[in-house]
Parts: sequence; structure tokens; C-alpha cells
Amino acid sequence: MASPALLQSNAIADLLNNTEWGFAVAECFHIVFFGVAIGTIMIVDLRLLGLAFPRTTSAKLLQDTWVYTLIGLAVTVLAGMALFLSDPRMYYLSQWFRFKATALLVAILYNYTVHYKVASSSSSTGVCVVVGAISVLLWVSVVTGGLFVGLLA
Amino acid sequence: MILELFQWLQSLSFMTFIRESGLEYPIVMSTHLTCIAIFGGLIVITDLRLLGWAFKDKSIADVVNGLRWWKRVGFIIMFSMGFTLFGSKAAEYYPNPYFWIKMSFLVLVLIHAIIFRPIVYNHPEELDASPVIPTRAKVAGALSLIIWTTVLCNGRLIGYYEPKNRGFSISKPHEQESASVGRLR
Repeated sequence: MASPALLQSNAIADLLNNTEWGFAVAECFHIVFFGVAIGTIMIVDLRLLGLAFPRTTSAKLLQDTWVYTLIGLAVTVLAGMALFLSDPRMYYLSQWFRFKATALLVAILYNYTVHYKVASSSSSTGVCVVVGAISVLLWVSVVTGGLFVGLLA
Repeated sequence: MILELFQWLQSLSFMTFIRESGLEYPIVMSTHLTCIAIFGGLIVITDLRLLGWAFKDKSIADVVNGLRWWKRVGFIIMFSMGFTLFGSKAAEYYPNPYFWIKMSFLVLVLIHAIIFRPIVYNHPEELDASPVIPTRAKVAGALSLIIWTTVLCNGRLIGYYEPKNRGFSISKPHEQESASVGRLR
């Protein structure tokens, strides 16, 4: 496995570190598409929690939003990987980055397993509420972890 | 005049407390960003429906009315937190060009609301009754997407501004030599 020190010199790092706008543009993509991903996931969560769209099922909302969620997550992760490669050592040593990366991994796995299964089936209200609440907490954790990476670097 | 106002705001005891706090500042910022992510996503959904690009099997009224209150709640929290962040370091924001671009586009958000609420957002049933989505609805959706994306990007770029020896240049927030807006002291 490549160490952060070996990753420190790479073409993406050169692009992001040696151009004035490279890092900023990558971060803007990271944030805007993260908003798209979380916003679409949140629509399903609001339905699971019984707080919005009472006339529509969570399965229907999931069917309507999954493409946007996937595009949002894909661009977010790709832009995030580019940001990571701009300074792997700093991120590797950051406990908040490790927290964020772990929360993100858990949130994505949760989204495409438990969340997907419950949202696309007719589970009981109690199960839906618990699954929706956990989803919201996981994504809030990802945002918080990501912010603290920058603030406490 | 404006700078003096900013300095007065920053000197208030609550703003001083936030600025000099350990975890409170990042917690306020986390709440601000979380609301942006959620609120922004809900705006994107509404705009895509108005443009006719997504959720076509769901009526415009369902989408606009279904998300209205959540967008309002998100906006109130986001604005409150954003104002607290700004107030705690107002004097540092004053020379930041990205802050002023963001503020200008927030004014455009207000103008957008004044123009399009009466003719689009307050009467989504009329849009559904039309055989094709009216141009005014598509214009409202497109402008909303552009304005909010610009607000979001410039909000992030505020943290990149490094006045010392850099003019309008930018540098990564965590690599700046001087304490900057959005950075924990």
C-alpha cells in the first residue's frame, strides 16, 4: 500500500497546488455536488421521518432521486479524492479527516443497503423513522468532519 | 462608515464570545454548512422540476408545496448561523471581495423572490394546468440555480482570500500565514 509520503508527489497535486484556482475550483465542485447528493437523500429521509410528501411513498421518491444522488456522490468523491491528493500527508495525519472518511464510508454503505432496502419497501413507521434519523445523523457527521478538517488543519 | 459598523458589530459581547471560543465557532459553521447542503439540495430539486428536467411524474405543486416549509426552516437557520459567523469577524470580511460578491448575489436572491414568488412559486397549480411548463417558471428555475451556485461558491472562496501581500489572489485556507475568515483561531 502506497504511503502518504509516496503519494505526496503526483500530477493532481501539481495541478491543484501550482495553479491559483485549481484547489478552489475542485472544492467548489466538491461542495456543490455534495449539496445535490445530501439534498436528494434528505428528501427520502424527510418522507421516512413522516415530515414531508405524505401523498408519495418513499419508494417513489427513491426512484425519482437515485440518479441525482449517484451523480452527486460520484462528483463529490472524485473532487474529494483530488483535494486529498493535493496534500495527502496533511489529510492522513488529521484525525478529523479520518473521522470524515470513516463517516462517509459508513454513510454511503448505509445509504445503499439499509436505507435503500427500507425506503424501497413498505416497512413499519417505526423502522422508517429510525432509518431516516440515522441517515440524517450520518450525513451531518460527514459535513461536520469535513469542516473540522479545514478548520483544525 | 460601513467598516465602522462592521467593527461595532464585531465588538459586541456575543460576537466576541463566538470569535474567541474554542468549539463554538466551528459548531456554528458546521450548522451553517449542514443547512446549506440540505437547503441547497432542496432548492436544486425545486429548480430541476421547474425546468422540467426531473421529477416529471410529480406535479410542480407537489414539489414546490412539499418542500416550501423545509426550505424556509433551512434558510432561517442557515441565515442566523451565517450572520453569527459574519458578525464575529465582520472587520475581516470587509476587504474580502468574495464576501461582497456573495452579498450581492444574496440581494439577487431577494430580487428573484420578489419577482417570481407572485407569478411562479405562489401559484404552482397554474403551472401544472398549463400544457407545457411556462417560460417564466423555467426562467425562475434557471436563475435560481445560477444565483445559489454562485452564492455557495463565493461563500467558500471567502476562506481563500489572503489580503497580506496577495491582493485579490487566493491561497488554501489551511495554508494561509495570517488568521483568516473561516479559520479557527
